[in-house]
Order: sequence, then structure tokens, then C-alpha cells
Amino acid sequence: MTPLSHYLIFSALLFSIGLGGAIMRRNVLVVLMCLELMLTGANVALVAFSRAQGLEGIPVYDAQVLALFVMAIAAAEVAVGLSLIVAMFRARRGVESTSLTSLKD
Amino acid sequence: MLIWLIIIPVIASVLIGFLHTPGRATALVSSLLTFLLGIGSIVALSMGADGTSLTHIGELPTSLSLYLPLSKPMLLLTVLVTLAAVLGLKAPDAAAERSWSISTLLISAGATGAFLSDNIVAFFAFHELALIPTFVMIGLYGRGERRTIAWRMTIYLGLASMVLLAGLILLYVQLGTMRFLEMRVMAAMGRMPVSACLTAGLLLAGFGTLVSLFPFHSWAAPAYASAPAPIAMMHAGVLKKFGLYGLILVACIFGPACDKFFGCWTNLLLILLLGNVLWVGCVTMAQSRLDTMLGNSSVMHMGYIFLGIAAFVTSGASNALAYQGAGMLMLAHGLSIALLFLLTDQIERRTGTLEFSAMGGLAHKQPMLGFFFGLAGMASIGLPLLANFVGEFSIFVSCFTGWEPGATPPSYCWSWLNGLANALGGLGPVQLTLIFALWGLVISAIYMLRAIRRIFAGELTPVCERATLPLSCAEICSAALLSAALVLFGIAPGILA
Amino acid sequence: MMQNLPWLFLVLPLVAAAADWLLLARRPRMAAGVSITSVLATLVLCIACMCGLQTGTPADYTWFPVQGIDLSLGLLIDALSIKMMLVVTGIGALVHIFSLGYMKGDPSNHSRYFAGLSIFMFSMSCIVLANSLVLTFIGWEMVGFSSYLLIGHWYHKETAADAAKKAFITNRVGDFGFLIGIMLTLGLFGSLHYADMAGHMKVAAGSPVLTAAILFLFCGAVGKSAQFPLHVWLPDAMEGPTPVSALIHAATMVAAGVYMLVRLQVSMGLYAFTDTACSVIAAIGAITAVLSALMAAQQDDIKRVLAYSTLSQLGYMIMAVGLLAGEAAMFHLYTHAWFKALLFLAAGAIIVCCHHEQNIWKMGGLRQKMPLTVLCFLAGTCALVAVPGFSGFFSKESILEAAWGRSLPLFIVGIVVAAFTTFYMVRLCLVAFGGRARTRDAEQAHEAGPSMLVPLFILAAMAIISGYGFVADRLVPFADFHAESTEWNVTFFAGLGSLIVGGGLAWFMYAKSAADSAQSDPFGSHIISRILRRRLYIDSFYDHLLIGGVQRWFTCLVSCIDDGVIRRLVGHGLALLTAWTGRLLSRIQGGSLRGYTVVASLGVFLLILLLIILF
Repeated sequence: MTPLSHYLIFSALLFSIGLGGAIMRRNVLVVLMCLELMLTGANVALVAFSRAQGLEGIPVYDAQVLALFVMAIAAAEVAVGLSLIVAMFRARRGVESTSLTSLKD
Repeated sequence: MLIWLIIIPVIASVLIGFLHTPGRATALVSSLLTFLLGIGSIVALSMGADGTSLTHIGELPTSLSLYLPLSKPMLLLTVLVTLAAVLGLKAPDAAAERSWSISTLLISAGATGAFLSDNIVAFFAFHELALIPTFVMIGLYGRGERRTIAWRMTIYLGLASMVLLAGLILLYVQLGTMRFLEMRVMAAMGRMPVSACLTAGLLLAGFGTLVSLFPFHSWAAPAYASAPAPIAMMHAGVLKKFGLYGLILVACIFGPACDKFFGCWTNLLLILLLGNVLWVGCVTMAQSRLDTMLGNSSVMHMGYIFLGIAAFVTSGASNALAYQGAGMLMLAHGLSIALLFLLTDQIERRTGTLEFSAMGGLAHKQPMLGFFFGLAGMASIGLPLLANFVGEFSIFVSCFTGWEPGATPPSYCWSWLNGLANALGGLGPVQLTLIFALWGLVISAIYMLRAIRRIFAGELTPVCERATLPLSCAEICSAALLSAALVLFGIAPGILA
Repeated sequence: MMQNLPWLFLVLPLVAAAADWLLLARRPRMAAGVSITSVLATLVLCIACMCGLQTGTPADYTWFPVQGIDLSLGLLIDALSIKMMLVVTGIGALVHIFSLGYMKGDPSNHSRYFAGLSIFMFSMSCIVLANSLVLTFIGWEMVGFSSYLLIGHWYHKETAADAAKKAFITNRVGDFGFLIGIMLTLGLFGSLHYADMAGHMKVAAGSPVLTAAILFLFCGAVGKSAQFPLHVWLPDAMEGPTPVSALIHAATMVAAGVYMLVRLQVSMGLYAFTDTACSVIAAIGAITAVLSALMAAQQDDIKRVLAYSTLSQLGYMIMAVGLLAGEAAMFHLYTHAWFKALLFLAAGAIIVCCHHEQNIWKMGGLRQKMPLTVLCFLAGTCALVAVPGFSGFFSKESILEAAWGRSLPLFIVGIVVAAFTTFYMVRLCLVAFGGRARTRDAEQAHEAGPSMLVPLFILAAMAIISGYGFVADRLVPFADFHAESTEWNVTFFAGLGSLIVGGGLAWFMYAKSAADSAQSDPFGSHIISRILRRRLYIDSFYDHLLIGGVQRWFTCLVSCIDDGVIRRLVGHGLALLTAWTGRLLSRIQGGSLRGYTVVASLGVFLLILLLIILF
């Protein structure tokens, strides 16, 4: 059986890739995908903990339920996010995050 | 029960704001209700009623309490001034009337909450709730450079609140509880904040600025001069006492240890309060308009209350007279300054000006206005039989109650003070401050009598010739209410104790 | 119940004042009735108390209950207070009645006038009957207030309004010192009650702090009794109605300072009055007596002459207090109250009958027009200038006696002042009553009505007889002050000499101009006369230095600094602080999404680190 640490390292890698992408990429579409990646990383950790905390092969379902919630919310978030991006593209002909400074200016 | 004192005005302001019920009438009903309720609960409590029925809703305890030091006179002050302010309220149009009524009610609700809260968070938050309408009303309806004045006031008081919040949080962190009554228990067990000097400094600076302690007083006079009358009455009369109330509360929390708690600041406080009395007193004498003169005089009189607090603090909270005197003067000053601002508004609506140089002989046309103004003016300069005298005299006496002649004379930083203190039998800092501060009696007499002389006495000027509109019934009632309170507490101050 | 009766001295006038002012503002006749009833009732009560109706001490009123200190208000009924009270209520009653006639044709609000008188009666009773400095101070402030009200009764007159303000503020200057004195007394004796003072002094007799306390208390007397350098308000106070001048500014209120000092001497003990303190008090009294007698010599206004003469007589009394002869001071206070009230009321009758003409050079020949009033005035004059046999002679004699025993310079001052007193009074009588009428107003003068004459007769009788034992023994607080104890010694002849010198000088200078109906003082343009008429330039010095200099320039300067420096520095400082912090913090809100992300993720890591470290 794979030890918990492997899952956690995997989850941390996923999260870090997502975070790095979210910070470094300028394209909002890519940033959104990176966010998804971070959520997936968190989900992996949740499910891994759910397995690890379980007794006699029966996992703790709380964490899995939480993961389901996260997925549902992520789906909703993607829908909202994509529609925002489309609206943004229509308005500005571009989806660069660095150009979003009109509130400050 | 007590919670209704806050809920009623809030409901009334919601009614006025959203359902557009007539502003003044609704506010009048609300303030009458709170007036009766407030007086009722104070009377009930002093008759020995069960306190829990006041402080609880059903079984649930609230954070409101009438057991805090001075919360009774402050509640009395709030309900009295609110009623008078609403009675005397006269706005230029219906929209203004609505917003003035709402602001008055919200300030009243906030002040009541702050004076009755037994909890740091509620204490602070209620005060902020009451401050915001003040800024807005000055910004929208003030006279003169209202924007500048409102901004200046916002910056001063906003920063003061921030500093105060830091102090309150430090107090909470170090005493480990948010409730004043529990804090008192903790302090009585000998728990003293590690950074007492810092905490006391933050509290003093925060509370002090809210009460326009010298040199943080520049916001006050222009703001009062500019604000619409009910707002000036509520702020100068009621809300400003929050800072003094807070200082006394903190001193009471530490009890005998408050001397140590405030220790590193008392001498500075004594010097600054002399700034209030003498410096601002001179500024007051130089004013040529009634409204700015009254605004400055209000700042000046704060000095005496600070003196009472200083005497209370240096005695280790054992000087009952200083405490009672400061409370009495807070109440009396609130009543008298509210009455003066009310009358100023009535004068201005009749003459169209507040410049001393343009006025004269108004008492011919408005004898009743002259009577009320004379009474309020005399009260504010401390004439016996009126409430302010009780407070001032008690504070003066309290400064000397702990003094023993011939005690080891303290050494002051200025050598001529040493000489004076030694010649007078080794006066301590509080006693010496009192001797200088007493000159304020002369200063206040000069400016107040000059105002009365210029406005009401002498030959009739054209401006006053036109002021023939008689006082309306509401105006008389509102002035009479405050005057009656001043006389009552002046003749029988014992009913408060 | 019976022992609480003296509270009526305070309650009755207060109720009367409130009723006059609040309920009877439009019913002047009823208001007058209420006030007169109250003052007559207190007079009766006072006589009853003297006759022994009063037994026991009245209960204290716990005014402001505070732990640890007794601030209760109580009444002290003893010979000193109750006999002083008789002077106050007696003259008060006569003045109330006189006012009925005096104010008859006056268009102002009579209810306000009588309310003012009642407030005065209340506050004067507070001072006289107080058993502690607390009640004394309450009365002290209230008499100042009632005097302010009554001087400013004709507030539409600029001069009256100014005089009222001046009186109140000058008194406040004295009260400033008085309060310091009260506080020091509290420290020195541990109590403000007169009864607890004797023997409880915490410092040695003669210590500097004791001197300071006494002198600060004396400041109160300087203000209220109009001693130099705070004497300037009293002559101006003559702007008020004349009965008010008689009651407040001649007979009773201005004597309150003397009464207070005597009360302190009695309760603290004479040893509390250190040598330095006494010398200062006596010196101030002497200076006032001399200066005001000089100024009186060249006044043309009949009321001003009397006002300056009041000042100089008060100087006598204060001097006596400084000589530790408070008993003599009280004797003079008592006789002076009667004859000075008489002089003022007679002057009031003359003024009314001359259609409010106050300049003596516009009167003349009044002895034919209104003989009864003039006769009364002359009786008062004889008492004032100390003609042997009249009451003023005996009391002045007792003061000179005290001075003779203790200080020769003060004795000479007393003699010189007596000479001047005779001079100005003879001048006044010669000009106003002698010769022929100088103006039509004086021509048409006629005798006053009975409500004015009857009080004059009573006062005239008192001016003559009040020094003799059968009256004085009953009414003077201290024993052995009466005509029969006067001896034929050096003070007697000195007094007689000053009388002859002063009277002769006045006769020599003014008999001719009185006879030929001169319209103004023939010596008025002389340099000395000009200086005296300008009140030795003391008033103009105050006007220019204190009011023009300090009050105007200094406060303007302070105000400019307050506005220009403090508001700018503190206000702009705080504003700049806010703006800078805002600008600094707004950098973080740079508008870059990446920046936010970095900060947010750093924050999360920090929190996690914190959690790991803490737990």
C-alpha cells in the first residue's frame, strides 16, 4: 500500500504547480485552469486523508463529501469564470490579467 | 428593558428613512418614549427594583447595565438632551428634517449604548455608530466651509478612535476579559497591565482627543459652529462626554491602582488641561461670533472635568468628591451647552446673524429668549443654584481634600513654581493646577457676560429690530425642559447620588 | 420644627423671586406685593429670633451627599449673624417699600426688579447665616448675580449694561482669590464649617501658608467690598435704580466683605490673622479710604459722591479689621448701614423729584422745595461726617480709638479721611440745597409721596439714635459698643478738629458759588480737580491696559496662534499622517492580480507557519 506521504507530496506538487501558474501566467484563461489545478491538489489531499484516517478499509466519508463539494463549487466557479472571461474578451479584445487595472486608475 | 432605549430610536429612524413617516413627529414619539423609559428605569433602580429585569431580555443577559459608574447621570443626560433637541428641531425642508431626525435618533441610540455597555466592543462600536451621523450631517447641512470642517473632524476623531481601539484591545489582552465589571475584579486581584504606561497613554490620547483635550481641540469649535443645531446639541452635549466617561470608567476599573496605571501621564494631563482652561479660554474671549464662542467655551470647560478626573486618578480612585463632581459637571455641562446651542439657533433664525457687532438690545423684542439665554449662560459660568456650580465647586474642593499643609513639597521643573508651591505650604501638582485653573472663572465670566451684553442689552440695532417672531410653544418647551433640569440639579444635586 | 424656622430666611425670598419672575411677570403690582410680603415676613422672623423664639440649631441640608467630606449647608444662628440679619431685613424692608414709590412712573418691568431684590435678599441671607464657607460662597456669588441684575435693570442704557458687566467681572476677580483662600482653609483647618475651625489649625500660627490663606480670603472681600485695586465697579454701579444703590451698594452687600472677615476672625481665632496679613489688610483699607475720599471731593453726580463716600467708609471698616478690631468694624458697619441707606434713599427721592437729574450743579434751593427730604438728608450727613451726638460719630470714634492704640500712621489716615468726608459732604449740601434753583427741574421739585417719606423718617431716626446704648446694646453684635462708652480723649478732639477743618474749607470754597447759582464747579478746571474727576486715572488705566491691552490684543494673539499654529500643526499633521499612511498602504493595492496572489499566498504560508510554531 502506498504510504500517505506519497499522496501528499503529489498533492503539494499539484498545488504548487497551480499556484505558480496562477502567479506567473498572464492569460486569465490559464490562470483559471491553474486554480482548478490547485483545487484538485487539495482534493487529492482530502481523499488521501480520508483513506488514511479510515479504520479497517472503511474511509472517513466526511473528507470525501468535502471533496465532492469542492468539485461542485469548482464547476460553478468555472462556469462563472469562463463567462466573465468571455465578457472580458468581448469588451477588451484580450484576456491579459495585467491589463485589469481600471479600478485602480 | 434597557435594550429598548436603543431599539426604539433605531426603529424610529428606520420608519423615517424607509417609510417616510413625518420626521419630527416620529422622532418626538421615539424620544418621549425613551425619555420616560430612561427616567423610569433610573427611578425604578433607585427605588430598589430588581436590576436583572432591566438588563435582561427574558432570560438572556444583554451587555447593557446601569451598575457602571456614572451610567445613570449619563443616561439621564442623553434622554433629556435628545428630547430637547427633537422638540427644538426646525429644519429648512422635509428631506432635511428627516435626515436631521434620523441622525439625532441614531446619535442618541449610540450614546445610550455606549454609556450603558458593560463590554469593550459594544462600548466602542456604539460610539462609532453615533459619530458617523455627526460627520455626515456637518458635511451635508453645515454652515460655512462644511466639507473642510467635516473632514477635519473625521480625521481627528477617526484617528482618535483608532488609537483608542488599540488601547482598549491592549486593555482586553492584558486583563483577559472584555467586560468592565469583570475587569474590575481582575484589577482588584492585583492584575496590572505589563505595559501600563503605553495602554494608559493610548487611552488618554484617544479619549482625550474625543473630548478635545488641548492641543487636539481644533476640530471642536468649528464643527459645533457649523453643525445643524440638533446635531451640535447632541454632540457637544451628549456624545462628547463619552471620552470623559471612558476615562472615569478605566480609573474605576483599576480602583486604588489607577494612580499607578495613569502614573506616567498625570502631570502631562494637568498641563494640557490648563491649556484647555487658560489657552482656549483666551481664544474664546477673542471670538466675534456667538457660535464659535460657544464652541470654544465648551472646549474650555472640558478642562475642569479633566481636572476632576486628574484629582480622582491621583487619589487612587478614593476621592469620591472628585468623581461625583466630574459626573455632575459632565451632566450639567451637557445640559447647559445643549441649551445654549438651541438658543443660538433660535437667535439666528430670528436675526439672521450671529455676529456680536451686528446685534444689540434683543431682550426688548425677545424677553423670554433673553431669560433662557441668561439662565444658560449663568449656568455655564457656574452660578450657584444651577447645576454647573455643583460640579465645578465639588471639583475645586476635591483637589484640596487630600492635601496636608506642610507636606514635603514636590519639586517642579520650573524653579519659580517650587517657590510658589513652598510658600503655599507645599502644594502638590493637582493643587497648583487648580490655582491656575481657577482663573478660568474670570475668563468665562468675561466672555459670557460680554455675549449677553452685546446680544441682549444696549440699544436696539436694526438686525434685532426685525426679530419679532415670538418663540413657538415647542421652542419654549424645549428650552424650559433643559432649564428646569439645570435648576433642579443645581438646588438638589443629591437626587442623583 | 421650631428650630428649623430660620430656613425661611432663605426659602421665602427665593420663592418670592421665582414667583415674581415666572408667574407674575405681567402683574407688577402683585409681584411687588409678594416681594414686600416676603421681606416683611423675614423681618418679623428676625425680630422673633432675636427675642429668643429660636432655640437650637437648624437642621443641615445635605446638599450633595459625598463620602468623606461634609459639604452640607447649614445655618449658624448667633448674635453676630442674627443682628446682622436685622440690619439686612430692616433696611431691605424699607428699601422695598421705598421702591414702590420710586419705580412708580418707570416703564421697565417691575416684576423683574422685585424678583432681583428678592434674589438679593435670599443671597444676602445666605452669606449672613452661613455656617460654612460653602454656603457663604454660594451667597457670595448670588449677591454678585443679583447686583448684576439690578445694576443692569435698565439694560437698554449702554452705560447701565456696561456697569453691570463690570461689576460682575470685577467681583469674579475677587472670587478667584476667595476660592483659593477657601481651598487653602480647607487644607489648613480640615473643614469648611466655621464651628470646626477654632483649634483645628494644622500649621503653626504665623506660618506663611496661613498668611497666604488669609490674604486670599481677603481677596474676596476686596472684590465684594470694592477695596483698592478692585474698587472701580462700585461708582459705576450707581447706574442702577437708587433704592438698589441704597440697599446693595451702600448698606448691605458691600459690607459683606467686612462681615465675612469678622466672621473668620471670630471662628478661626485672632491668632490666625498673622501680622503680615493684618498689615496688608489695614493698608488696603487705608489706601481705599484716602483715595476714594479724594475722588469724592470733586464729583458732581450726587450718587457718585455718595458711592465714593461708601468706598471710603468701607475702607475704614477694612482698616479696623486689619487692626484686629473687628468689633469696631461691625459697629461702624451697623451705623453706616442705616445712615448711608438714608442718604441714598433721600438722594433717590431728590432725583425722582428733580426728574432724574443727578448733577448737584443743576439742583440748588431744594431746602425750600422739599424740606422734609432735605432734613433727612442732613441727618444722614451729620451721621456720616461724625458730628458728635449722631450715630456715625460713635462708631467712627471706636475705629479711631483702635487705630490710636495700634498704629499712628493709620490714625492720621483716619483723621485726614474724616476731614475730607466733611469737606465733600458740606460741598454737596451747600450746592444742592443752598442758594436758588439753578434749573427748571429743580424749580419744579416737590416733596415725595408717603411710601418714600416714611422709610426716610425711620432711617433718619435710626441715623440719629442707633449709636446710643438703648438701641446699640440690642442691635450691635458685640457688647460695649455704644455712645456711653465714648471718652473725651485725644481721638475725640482729633475727630472734632477734622470736622471743623473739612467743613470750614468747604464753606470757604463753595459758599459763594452756592449762593450765586454757579452752573458748574468753579474749581473744575483746576489741575487737581481734573485729576480727581478722572478718578486718578485708575479706571482709564484699567480700560487701556486690561481691556484694550490684555483682553483685546493678547486674546487676539492667542487666538491667531491657536488658529495659525496649533490648528495647522496638529490638524495638518494629522491630515498628512493619514494621507501618507493611505498612500503607503495603497501601494499594496497596486492593481496587479499577481501581486495580490503573491501576497495572499504568502499570508497563508505565514499563517500555517504560525500554527506550526504555536502548536
